[in-house]
Amino acid sequence: MQTSSELKITDQFGIQRMLPLDKPVFTIGRNPENDLYLLTPSISRQHAEIVFEDGGYYLVDKASKSGSYVNDQRIDRTLLRHLDRIQLGGDSNVQIQFVDGPSASGLRPPSERATLDMPISDAHATSASDELQKLARFLEVNQAFKSSFTPEDVLRLIVDSAIEMTAAERGFLMLKNEAGELEFKVARDRARNSLPGANFAMSHSVVKRAMRTNRSVIVNDGDASDSGAAGESALRLDLRSIVCIPLARFKMREQMGATSMLKPDVTGILYVDSRLVTGALSKTSLTLLESLAFEASKCLESVRLMHEEKEKEKLEHELAMAHEVQSALLPMMFRQLDYCEVAARSVPCRQVGGDFYDVIALDDGRTAFVLGDVSGKGISAALLAAMAQGGTQAQFSTGLSIAEVITNLNRLIVKRSDANRFITLFCGILDREGNFSYVNAGHNPPILARSDGRLELLSTKSLVLGAFDFAEYEARLTRVEAGDAIVMFSDGVTEAVNASNEMFGDERLERLVRKKAALSAEEIRDRILEEVLTFTRGLPQGDDITLLAIKVKV
Amino acid sequence: MEINVRTAGDVTVLDLKGNLTLGAGEQKMREVIDELLARGRTKLLLNLAAVPVLDSSGIGAIIKSFTTAKKDGGKLKLLNLSRLARQLLSITGLLSVLEVFDDEASALASF
Repeated sequence: MQTSSELKITDQFGIQRMLPLDKPVFTIGRNPENDLYLLTPSISRQHAEIVFEDGGYYLVDKASKSGSYVNDQRIDRTLLRHLDRIQLGGDSNVQIQFVDGPSASGLRPPSERATLDMPISDAHATSASDELQKLARFLEVNQAFKSSFTPEDVLRLIVDSAIEMTAAERGFLMLKNEAGELEFKVARDRARNSLPGANFAMSHSVVKRAMRTNRSVIVNDGDASDSGAAGESALRLDLRSIVCIPLARFKMREQMGATSMLKPDVTGILYVDSRLVTGALSKTSLTLLESLAFEASKCLESVRLMHEEKEKEKLEHELAMAHEVQSALLPMMFRQLDYCEVAARSVPCRQVGGDFYDVIALDDGRTAFVLGDVSGKGISAALLAAMAQGGTQAQFSTGLSIAEVITNLNRLIVKRSDANRFITLFCGILDREGNFSYVNAGHNPPILARSDGRLELLSTKSLVLGAFDFAEYEARLTRVEAGDAIVMFSDGVTEAVNASNEMFGDERLERLVRKKAALSAEEIRDRILEEVLTFTRGLPQGDDITLLAIKVKV
Repeated sequence: MEINVRTAGDVTVLDLKGNLTLGAGEQKMREVIDELLARGRTKLLLNLAAVPVLDSSGIGAIIKSFTTAKKDGGKLKLLNLSRLARQLLSITGLLSVLEVFDDEASALASF
């Protein structure tokens, strides 16, 4: 193209810029791919074209909805003449004038050119949209590959792009912290360097206004209405130009199959400023900047979700490991004893549970059985359970009596845990003569089913562990005989609920134990667990379910 | 969990309404009690008449509050336990430590 014909575009702020008609087909429309794109709803996506044919420029309407006009005449295709006014759709905010180049007509008076010098050059407008497209591509790639770019990299890039687009001197990105206060996340200068320091002078009133209204705020020197509203700090800083754009998180709501957008949360701001007169921003530049801010918000949101996802994965991984560790702590196989059978199982309601059990062979040939339940849930409950289990083993290895073991264990737990948590624990020791001595520290009484069908509840009404350092524990002794069964359980068994919110209950468990007492320890355990599962019909339970069954053989 | 705090002489009565269970319920009760203890209100009576569910975490919160009040030279007592709550306190051995009342007048008189 040897011609230098141009379009003179004047936006609603009175800002003018020139666009050279430097291609055979120059497209105009609402799509960003157009050579001139105007974000006005009344303009179609591909609204019109200016084509160069036979040495002249023709404006061609592309079957737009709202029509194209030249000097107020609606046209389909018409030859443009110097200083023709082009109007697209009903939009009167943007004025477009055809300025014929000298080589095409030579009609243009020389003075005309001088008045057209623009505060924002064509090159600038082009670099702004290029910048945005580059960034959008980067963000797409970044999201698609969940690349190793840190959120900081992306945020820096966004601020750099904003500086580039506005020709500002510096730019900031601030995000709300957990307390809802804005914090500087990125501070950059024009040379793409990070600014040192944690706080920077800026117009707080402009920031406040952008946050409050969730709208972009532009302050240009000499623009009385805006700088007045911007308040003191903008003046004090002697800043000439500020653009502040809120970053919003859009929440979608799905209802009746339709998705609607809820009121956006303002999560931060993008802020650029300059002490120099860089010229006012054209509407197009602001729109570009707002698109940039929207990209930033989207990016932040996806980074946030990615982060949450990673945290969740990490937590799940840790929980899986904790589950393994905990499962390994609970003995699955017991050394088979000649005077009794043992079977136990714990079904945690979450990945890790607060229930624990143990079977400890004592040096003198007796066997200790422990079943405990830590109050509360989660990892901290599981840790306390592990500590209590280890503590019990350690105490028994010192050869103390069962009452002393439990008294010491209580003191240990009081010291080591915050007083919020406590442990209910049943501990019994059986010898081959059938002496069963036990301490019940606030635990659901185990059921002793005699071979003749009688049931006894093993309670000493002693205090829970870990609550009071003054608690003293005393043991009780009972005699058991061949055929007797002892069922120790956590309250997750009796408090298991079904869909009608009924509890499994003590009575149901007692009836079941009486009925199954003649079976082996393993069968007693399995029948009870089966019955509980049948009762709940797979309804997720709020508590761990733990059982330990002992069948006396001699 | 709603907590209405009123005073009867030098005793502060907390009327609890809602479940005293893991999470919000027990946390709120502990916060209110910590606040009262910080202000020197050390004679506390917890009225559980409108607490339908009490779980082990709720009991944990009662134990913690009891212990803290005691450290501050104060007392924490319980009023109007449901049958299940009383059973739970019985199993956990806490009835031997915590004072429990069924009528407010004798509870207040006991401080």
